Amino acid sequence: MFEKLLGKEYARKKALAKAPAGPLADFLAAGRMDRSADCREIPIMAIDLETTGLDPKKDVILSIGMVEVNNWGVNLGTAWHRIVRVDQAIPGETAVIHHITDDQSAAGEPIEALLPEVLRRMAGKPMLVHYSPIEQNFIDAACRKIYGAPFVTPIIDTLEIAQRVYERRNHLIQPGDLRLFNLRPRYNLPQYKAHNALSDALATAELFLAVADNLYPSGKCPLGEFLSKR
Amino acid sequence: MEVELLEIRQFFEQRNPFNYLSDELLDELPKDIEIRYLRRGGTFPPLEGYLYVLRSGAVKIYDTEGELCEKLAEGDMYSVTCQLVNLSQCTSGEAVEDTLLYMLHCDRLKELCRESTAFGEHFSAGVKERLKAAISVYQESDDPTVAAMMVSVGSLIRKQPITVQSGMTIRETASLMSNKDVSSVMVMQDDKLVGLVTDRDLRKRCVAIGLTGTELIDQIMTPNPQTIEATAITAQALMMMTRMHFHHLPVTRNGKLEGMITATDLANHQSANSAYLAADVRKAKSVDDLVEVSKRLPNLHLRLANASVTARHIGEAVSCLTDSITGRLLQMAEEQLGAPPVPYVWMAGGSQARHEQSSHSDQDNALLLSDDFDKDKHDEYFAAMAKFVSDGLDRCGFVYCPGDAMATNPEWRQPLQVWKRYFNKWIESPTPMSVMLSSIFFDLRPVTGDFDLFVPLQQNILRKSQENGIFLAHMTANALKHRPPLGFFRQFVLERGGDHDDTLDLKHKGIVPITDIARVLALASGKEAVNTVDRLRACAGTPQLTTEMAENLEDALEFIATLRIQHQANQIKNNRKADNYVPPSELSELEREHLKHAFKVIQTMQESIAKRFGADRLG
Repeated sequence: MFEKLLGKEYARKKALAKAPAGPLADFLAAGRMDRSADCREIPIMAIDLETTGLDPKKDVILSIGMVEVNNWGVNLGTAWHRIVRVDQAIPGETAVIHHITDDQSAAGEPIEALLPEVLRRMAGKPMLVHYSPIEQNFIDAACRKIYGAPFVTPIIDTLEIAQRVYERRNHLIQPGDLRLFNLRPRYNLPQYKAHNALSDALATAELFLAVADNLYPSGKCPLGEFLSKR
Repeated sequence: MEVELLEIRQFFEQRNPFNYLSDELLDELPKDIEIRYLRRGGTFPPLEGYLYVLRSGAVKIYDTEGELCEKLAEGDMYSVTCQLVNLSQCTSGEAVEDTLLYMLHCDRLKELCRESTAFGEHFSAGVKERLKAAISVYQESDDPTVAAMMVSVGSLIRKQPITVQSGMTIRETASLMSNKDVSSVMVMQDDKLVGLVTDRDLRKRCVAIGLTGTELIDQIMTPNPQTIEATAITAQALMMMTRMHFHHLPVTRNGKLEGMITATDLANHQSANSAYLAADVRKAKSVDDLVEVSKRLPNLHLRLANASVTARHIGEAVSCLTDSITGRLLQMAEEQLGAPPVPYVWMAGGSQARHEQSSHSDQDNALLLSDDFDKDKHDEYFAAMAKFVSDGLDRCGFVYCPGDAMATNPEWRQPLQVWKRYFNKWIESPTPMSVMLSSIFFDLRPVTGDFDLFVPLQQNILRKSQENGIFLAHMTANALKHRPPLGFFRQFVLERGGDHDDTLDLKHKGIVPITDIARVLALASGKEAVNTVDRLRACAGTPQLTTEMAENLEDALEFIATLRIQHQANQIKNNRKADNYVPPSELSELEREHLKHAFKVIQTMQESIAKRFGADRLG
């Protein structure tokens, strides 16, 4: 409650004070954002998680995909994808979506081993996601579990931005309109057949470029305009 | 590669030229790709130094004048900004739809070209492809004349082809033609075109010689008529008709008969263009009229050059018009002087004969007379005729030949047997003088008169030249006199002194060497062709000239000739006299690069003929 009023910067400082020296502390230390920075000039990290469900209390991260947006482009050289080894059986109904089998998961690495790399890659960059609660809450749960401190990051959420665009134009939003793969065709973006954390992170990155380019065709594109209230 | 990027790999592996990359290189490719989004109306290309492939959307590219060059759609590639030197005028544009771009840095592209030859070839295509890319951009010209000339022949066809089957009678054919109200029909054997019959054939070959009409049409048709592909441009149809004196031309598409075009169709279609020039030449009543018509020649040259008509076609267009002017002058001469006392044929030499004339070429011509020629009785007539035509040509802008290789010179106004003797002497005991004349008289073509006179002369020349090694050695030595400049650029040899200080003589350093090579090869293998490209094609695949070399020489010629034409077109546009001297500053970096290739091709071939025909040994 207080954190919401005091804002993200307060939350970041508080978390930093709580976090033990290590990956999370380093990440939080680099997390101060200049809201007036130009989106075209700062690196932004698109990320997508596949999970066993929607509840961070009982569900876990299955895979992580990341790709960096920089200089108004996506550099595929920065693409990164990992499968997480989980110690619970993967529910059949979610496997239909992410196609990660128990065997694949068993060949992955535990989240404890992967999280430092995730944090290192994200340090100093706003987190770009489509519908932020999943990524925010699952990484936060992992950080609290491993480091005993919360995960605080500036967020750019393409779903929120798209929703604002719709509302500004007084479009009636239909259920499903704001889903990533329903938004992309509106910007003439191709449909990727694959559905995995990396291709979704890439799909999100491209959608961000499209949305931002349409909102700010030229001139400065202030980061603050895109940062989520969450 | 992250296996999750497989889709990106798949996108590339399905596309030329990426499909030439090995699996390993394809696996590595995605990590080098950058992705950019361009909203509709956004400027393309967003950055220099990248190869672009459209993943979705569409982009229109414009040239420097703002004319549309091309439209890129999904999967299309744009590599202009990666080319070492920019050949394309088509350098920028805009997204016409929201567009997602895949980009590959030019440095990485270069590495890939080195690592995969097949892939690299796509980006270093031969002079021809690159040149074609540069000049064959069909511009939607504002100039109605040029636009008219660039229309495809197929689009001029107005009705279904009217045909009869081989084996029908002349009467049946005539009645069909009159029912359908056509001046010609095509004769078919099943669906194969075997002949052509025109009104004129019915009059001349049937009625006039007293046939009854019950004979078969096959008896009077022109068998195996010349055809033209529907995709050819009208300028080509015009050339063909003028050259062969046809009025009807069957049109085929992929070998299948599609219709017929006539000289009238072309004339109706084109206004104030070279067809009209040709028509105006025919209609001219006096030399003054011809002079007026000729004034439009430089302009035609300019228009054709602006329309990116190939150098070869421009040479043909101008030469055809010179032929027409020559023919009309000869008619006028005959009107003034009366009928010729013995048969004659007016021959063109040099560039006119080769169909390679530019609007400012000088005249080279000669008169070949029947052996019934009696100098005392007849020469006065032909001297007057030669003077009339030569003066007329000079007034029309084809200035007198500085070497006096004209029919006005009594030496070049001789009966067949004397001409044969000349050639025998030139071939059997060549002298520096005779070799000098070779570029005029070993490129010889009948223009007007009794063509039958020319045939024995030509056969005589080709038979003798083929057999005579010493002659070929001399011709080869002559062909090696003009060497292309080597070691391009800074070291490259420029003309010094006079008006042409620090310029490159495209004619003598580039065009003449190829023309000379083609002449030696044609004479060595007894080919009748006179046009340089025709000669190269006729000799291609012989031991003297591989097919590949023939193509390379043709490309080199077309490229250098195109540079020359553009240079001259610029001069004409700026009201300066057209010449062959190009200051290197006028050339783009890419043009210099291509010139280097072209000169290399010439040098290689010069070495090859020197070896083969032993010119080295002449000393």
